[in-house]
Amino acid sequence: MSEPEVIRAEVEAMLALVRERYGSRLAPEELEGVRTAIEGIVQAAHALRAVRLTNADEPGQPFAAYRADP
Amino acid sequence: MAEDVVFVPVRRLGALIRERRLSPVALAETFLDRLERLGPRYNAVVTVTRARAREQARRAEAEIAAGRYRGPLHGIPYGAKDLLATSGGIPTTWGAAPFKDRVFDFDATAIRKLEEAGAVLCAKLAMVELAGGMGYRQPNAAFTGPGVNPWSRDAWSGGSSSGSGSAVAAGLVPFAIGSETWGSILSPAGNCGVAGLRPTYGRVSRHGAMALCWTLDKLGPLALTADDCGLVLEAIAGRDPADPTTVDRPFRHEAAASAGGRFRFGVLRGVTDGCEEAVRENFERSLGVLREIGTVEEVALADLPYDDITRTILFAEAASAFEDLIESGAIRGLTAPEDHYTPYARDAILAKDYLKALRLRGVMAREADRALAPLHALVAPGRASEAARLTGEVRSAIRGTARDVMGAIGNGAGLPAVAVPNGFGARGLPTSLQFMGRAWEEPTVLAAARAYQSRTDWHERHPADLT
Repeated sequence: MSEPEVIRAEVEAMLALVRERYGSRLAPEELEGVRTAIEGIVQAAHALRAVRLTNADEPGQPFAAYRADP
Repeated sequence: MAEDVVFVPVRRLGALIRERRLSPVALAETFLDRLERLGPRYNAVVTVTRARAREQARRAEAEIAAGRYRGPLHGIPYGAKDLLATSGGIPTTWGAAPFKDRVFDFDATAIRKLEEAGAVLCAKLAMVELAGGMGYRQPNAAFTGPGVNPWSRDAWSGGSSSGSGSAVAAGLVPFAIGSETWGSILSPAGNCGVAGLRPTYGRVSRHGAMALCWTLDKLGPLALTADDCGLVLEAIAGRDPADPTTVDRPFRHEAAASAGGRFRFGVLRGVTDGCEEAVRENFERSLGVLREIGTVEEVALADLPYDDITRTILFAEAASAFEDLIESGAIRGLTAPEDHYTPYARDAILAKDYLKALRLRGVMAREADRALAPLHALVAPGRASEAARLTGEVRSAIRGTARDVMGAIGNGAGLPAVAVPNGFGARGLPTSLQFMGRAWEEPTVLAAARAYQSRTDWHERHPADLT
């Protein structure tokens, strides 16, 4: 599949998930609005996935161990 | 009291109060009156905190009379974006109808610090519901109505700190506190023609502030000048055990007087692509001013999906922060119709994509620091366009309908920036210039903005019809 086809398929899969979870509370035009928003999310995800990182590239927000005083 | 105290910078008001030529009580009454009389015109105010203001103003007056002067904010009225918790029965609504009657029993750290500095809380200011985190597309996205721009009543005041921008621009308060996750201080400051400072992430405690995105939210001031923003930041900055993201890095505004001579400014390649013509022209004219005080050079950044990185983090964290509201369907109670369903789309964000965005954030932060290290600041238009029309769609980098590399990097990497007015656009609305610096370089970006404002008078122009 081409990149646009992959994105389209992923959008439809994600939209099916949203429809399954929340479809009963969404009007058809609202579901179309959700589709538009999902398209943006999936395109952003593909842009992120296209960047190669090394194993050493940690999340920018490190976790810190917690201990209450004292 | 005569209204000639309106549009007087905080620094000057503070000097008059210190010299006992200006009464904090009379000053508070002047601004309380303006908030009640003019605030509704701009949908700028949620709650006028008259009782608390009078009590704080009387205390300030007594302390100063007794020789206990706290500093430049002592006796100065201000307003706070209505996502900061306030005690004493004052509602904290987050701009959202489902929370319009909610009351906290404590003060946010920023509110407490301002009280310790002697400032006088006069109002909780309007904002886009839930700081815009649900995906609004147009200005009518708050239970208080769309934020109206003091420069034109058919224009938006910005978002999401709408009331913080319009209240300063309309002379309803000398300064205000806003918050920024992506654009919510710089945007209303730019739209309303005032100064706005987005501090470094971790500079100001967010304890008691509504959480939209834990790793992106910042609190900062809006005021008439960059200098005033520095005075306010000094009062609210600092380590807070209640907010583990804050750090112990003292900030003294008075030390920010200059960069020791000439500045070195950078401009990202292509940063004005997509800007309105007037915005580009005003930016070019601003660069002419900056060349009087320093050098300007083009800067290139590595090719990274900056907007996508910050957008993915924002969407994922906002969906989690408001999981209950979204899952329960209570978002139906929000004002903007698009806020009723857009958040459901965020179920499409995979955990590994969010983590990839967090990992790329580190790369982005290092790349931004590399570019900024030899510079005093990157400069750019504060906004790509004049304020949106009240009845129009808002172009937004968050939704992907506009590009904002400076905002994506600045917020994603937690960098400080200050926006100041730099002219007017085709519709007569303000445009702005932003200075963004390395982490913890608020003194430097403020020094640059002050130098710019010392050579221009855009900040001395105010909307008409404000009586």
